[in-house]
Amino acid sequence: MAQTHDHGDHSHPAAPMVEEISEFEILEIAVRELAIEKGLFTAEDHRKFTEWAEQIGPAGGSRLVAKAWTDPAFKARVLSDGVAACREIGIDWAEPTGQGTPSDYMELRVLEDTPTLHHVIVCTLCSCYPRPLLGHSPYWYRSPNYRRRLVRWPRQVLTEFGLVLPPEVEIRVEDSNQKCRFMVLPMRPAGTESWSEEQLAEIVTRDCVIGVALPRPDRKSDDVRPVHKASRPVGGEHHEPGGSP
Amino acid sequence: MESRKTGNAPAHFNVGDLVRVKDLPNLFYSRTQMYVRGVRGTIAARTYEDLLPEDEAWNRDDAQPEQFYIVRFRQKDLWDGYPFENDTLQTELPDRWLEPAGH
Repeated sequence: MAQTHDHGDHSHPAAPMVEEISEFEILEIAVRELAIEKGLFTAEDHRKFTEWAEQIGPAGGSRLVAKAWTDPAFKARVLSDGVAACREIGIDWAEPTGQGTPSDYMELRVLEDTPTLHHVIVCTLCSCYPRPLLGHSPYWYRSPNYRRRLVRWPRQVLTEFGLVLPPEVEIRVEDSNQKCRFMVLPMRPAGTESWSEEQLAEIVTRDCVIGVALPRPDRKSDDVRPVHKASRPVGGEHHEPGGSP
Repeated sequence: MESRKTGNAPAHFNVGDLVRVKDLPNLFYSRTQMYVRGVRGTIAARTYEDLLPEDEAWNRDDAQPEQFYIVRFRQKDLWDGYPFENDTLQTELPDRWLEPAGH
């Protein structure tokens, strides 16, 4: 008999989570299998490309921000023509050079934060994201939860990310629904005055250019993550925390 | 790579103009969010000319391209009872979906 759990007046079997597949996913699989059958590429080629595409990080965005922080003339060019500014740091939106995946869309608008204005990006209709610059979007960026709640309750969602901004600061949500792609240019944090461009790039994490976090001098993208020890480890009733199992 | 469609697209609005988003019927496909329909906003930028998503979705490459704009809304105008005075939201809309909304 299947395992059950109770809901007071009724109970039902615990069902496994069923993954639904969309029509676009079916289309992708069909085209991919046809291409493999026709010999255009092999399954191994496809796997290798997927592996490469999925590990691309937001390094392009970090470098763009760090250079804009240290070079006012470059910053002006970033704000007036994002795609052209990307070419200056070796990222071509038409022919991505290892920093991202190809994009049909060639409009990048970089949104500059100020002491009184904070930007955050979302795509309520799907998952539009400046991929040539930042690689793939994080999973939560594509989730219906983030997409529908950010436009309606931006301050509450930002609080869930640990970012609480005073009411005087205007929060501006940018809903990327057409062909423009957006990235946030956060403010350079205090305490980084003498830093090099390379040092600055290390604190511009992906979340900072989406707008759900602010750069901090003490937080780098490759930091060791905090680990909270289990207060009652499995089978550990008679063991002290941290003791040998 | 897409080729951007340009031409003598009608552009009725300039930066700073007050506009209202029309509530046109959805014919199969649209990228005009329901939550902005009927709401007043301000033109924040003119972006580019291109085909409407409604045409592009059906490969109507010979359709008339239009001017697109980034429109800025006050969150208080979008959502009943939104409690923060200064917060805003921007999104992008083509000319056809906008009408003048006074001064």
